[in-house]
Amino acid sequence: MKKQLLLMGSLLLSSAVTFGAGYQLNLQGLRQLAMGGSGTAIPWDAATIFYNPGGLTEFRHLTLYASGQFIMPSAQYVPTPTGNFDARTKDKTYPTFNIYAGGPIVDKSKLSIGIGVYTPFGSGTKWDDNWTGRYIIQEIKLQSIFFQPTVSYKFNDIVSVGAGFIYAVGSVHLDKAIPLQNTAGADGHAQLKGDGHGVGFNIGVHVMPTEKMHLGLTYRSQVNMKVKRGYASFDVPSSVASSFPYTAFSSTLPLPQVLSLGVGFNVSERVTLQADINFVGWKAYDTLSFDYQDNTAALEDTHTPRRYKNTLAVRAGMHYKFSDKVQGMLGAAWDPSPVRDGFVSPDLPDANRGVFTAGLSYKPAPKLSIMAAVEYVRTIARKSSFDAEGFQGKYQTTAFTPGIGLAYNF
Amino acid sequence: MKKLYIIGLLAIGFASCKPQLEPSKPQQGEADFSRYVAVGNSLTAGFADGSLYRYGQEHSYPSMLAKQFAQVGGGDFVQPLLPGNYGYPNAKMMLAVRRGFCDAEASLKVIPFEGALDTPGSSTNISYQGPFNNTGVPGIRCIDYLVPGYAMYNPYAKRFFYNPTGARPLDEVLRINPTFFTLWIGSNDVLSYATGGGESSSTGISDLNLFSYSYDSVVRALGRNGAKGVILNIPDVASIPFFTTIPAKGLTLTKNDADQLNAKYNGTDMRFNTDGSPSYFVIQDSSVPRGYRQIKAGEMVLLSVPLDSIKCNKWGSAVPLPAKYVLTANEVSKIKTAVASFNQVIAQTAAAYNLPVVDMNAYLGTLMSGIKFNGISFNTTFVSGGAFSLDGVHLTPRGYALVANQIIATINSKYQATLPWVDVTAYDGLKMP
Repeated sequence: MKKQLLLMGSLLLSSAVTFGAGYQLNLQGLRQLAMGGSGTAIPWDAATIFYNPGGLTEFRHLTLYASGQFIMPSAQYVPTPTGNFDARTKDKTYPTFNIYAGGPIVDKSKLSIGIGVYTPFGSGTKWDDNWTGRYIIQEIKLQSIFFQPTVSYKFNDIVSVGAGFIYAVGSVHLDKAIPLQNTAGADGHAQLKGDGHGVGFNIGVHVMPTEKMHLGLTYRSQVNMKVKRGYASFDVPSSVASSFPYTAFSSTLPLPQVLSLGVGFNVSERVTLQADINFVGWKAYDTLSFDYQDNTAALEDTHTPRRYKNTLAVRAGMHYKFSDKVQGMLGAAWDPSPVRDGFVSPDLPDANRGVFTAGLSYKPAPKLSIMAAVEYVRTIARKSSFDAEGFQGKYQTTAFTPGIGLAYNF
Repeated sequence: MKKLYIIGLLAIGFASCKPQLEPSKPQQGEADFSRYVAVGNSLTAGFADGSLYRYGQEHSYPSMLAKQFAQVGGGDFVQPLLPGNYGYPNAKMMLAVRRGFCDAEASLKVIPFEGALDTPGSSTNISYQGPFNNTGVPGIRCIDYLVPGYAMYNPYAKRFFYNPTGARPLDEVLRINPTFFTLWIGSNDVLSYATGGGESSSTGISDLNLFSYSYDSVVRALGRNGAKGVILNIPDVASIPFFTTIPAKGLTLTKNDADQLNAKYNGTDMRFNTDGSPSYFVIQDSSVPRGYRQIKAGEMVLLSVPLDSIKCNKWGSAVPLPAKYVLTANEVSKIKTAVASFNQVIAQTAAAYNLPVVDMNAYLGTLMSGIKFNGISFNTTFVSGGAFSLDGVHLTPRGYALVANQIIATINSKYQATLPWVDVTAYDGLKMP
């Protein structure tokens, strides 16, 4: 007779990896960021390689752009239905960057080329190691870098089109506690690390029906970030260590497709207004699967339902020319959450978010712009649960992101 | 100066940019927690791992509740704590990797505690520390609450009752003059029969009328000064690992052994699988002419059975399992009937006194199919299930925390209180080597 003392049940590590809307960064250009993240219509600078590749032909000479942004997220949790304590994430700064370069292949050519290197998904969350949700997540960090060589063609003074190929690299890193205590009472621990890559494209049309009006339509494809060989390592009591081998895993994290429609209008000599609508295909994030190379009774492949829904974000901003040297930007956006109730996880507690932005641009020399911008994101407090892990609570998150950058037009 | 002023404003502005949720404020509602008494048996005392010890007492569900009550006007909470953690009177159990007598390899086993003996003084009467808020007495039955001098027969009661020779247990629990009570009694009126294999040598099932009378007396006395409270009913054996861990069809035999047994029992209805798949154990049963038979589906082998004897000495095959380790279909049916009728008495009494019932019987049924709390999976599987301690009957601190939350949910809904739930993850589960 065998006494099966230990069948630990499946360890749902995958439950701790979500790409919530909070990981989708709208920081690909400072001037655009400062206008609520809108930028599909008007090619302000080389960041249009991201915002609308069709706008690149507007630049008659080589144009360069570089910026850095520093995301400072903060999340707070209070337990429900009742509770007497709260938990806050640790203060950490997650840097991102953008570099663009582009221009006509030869002087006065209708064909332009360019390249963009930018970070459309990233950020992280770090809770206290001993917090009440530690068996779901202690810390998660996600990074991505997209490389996008781009061509753009100007049919006439009204219409131009552009297309870019995307090669994406990324990494995921997460830590969580395992509810297996050693004789001293210390929790077990799991760490997952993986690098992934994927491909996609970014296409856009830029239309100028009148001198004062810009229209833009872009489509950025879904990018499936394939983690072919991540590694999972465990620290558990020795009597169960054989159930938790150091193992490779594979997974795919889909980064959603985005369809954007933008309009921009020069109201006066000084004032320009612009707005975007983004349709984001979060629905791709339906099930998250993790395939472990070495399976044990405690470590089975997992398929966790996520059931995200598609969202529609609205962004708007104003550009104001104080003088030839100084320009100011102001904007706001509304970005609804793709995460349904019952699926809200503390790794990045997602909720409908309001975005408020501002920025300044200064030209010390005619061809050089120095830009600074700041974004403040605040979610509506959300009471929800993560049913797969029996976790419920009320969340609010904020993120404060300052950025600084340079643009140079030859 | 102006610059400093702006920087100061920015700093304040930045701080207020962070999330600003307010945790909900605990309220006592209609209940008065100033003098709380917990009435119950071993489950209330904090018994775990086959014994009573200080750490278990400190993590009893009444002590968890008292911490939450303290936030809404709850008073002092005093327990009759033991001096040490060895276990009283017997050593508690622990997990260790060991090789059994007939094992080729070492594996995880439940063994008697090997730590320091720190029990001297455990039997000393400590009633001067009282009156106690946790009056849980391991082993006590519902029908014992009206027996004068009961403590003379129960060492756990004897060590903290104020008047062990004369008082009824009911008198002792009332000494605190409670304004609020939790009452979880009745398990031992059927469980001690069940854990003893239903044998006449062990305590029988309590008489239903006596149970009913005692239960009513206890509830009436607790509520006599307008005290409010919560009542917990009793779980069925089907959801307790002590009865469910060892399967009836759990006898694995080599082909050779199975052939020998089939030859030995030739001419009977007993059959043993020769293909390596498990067969039914052989058990003693005085009701059949030859005194033994194979166990049937639905009958139970108890966790108290010596596993080494099964492995080394052919217990359950050539040697029938003694009846005290087995519940036959007849015994199981008696137990189920008793649990159902006791729970009916509990429900009726609670209704009569307008007290809410925490349906622990139903909750353990839910636990059996598995629940998740803050990322921890719980079920009623022995050891890995996380909720039951190493004796398979009593709970781990995390298991007791789950119970505390069921009680809190019931209090909140019945008395319009907003007591905070207990953070289950703040307590220990089983500790593994």
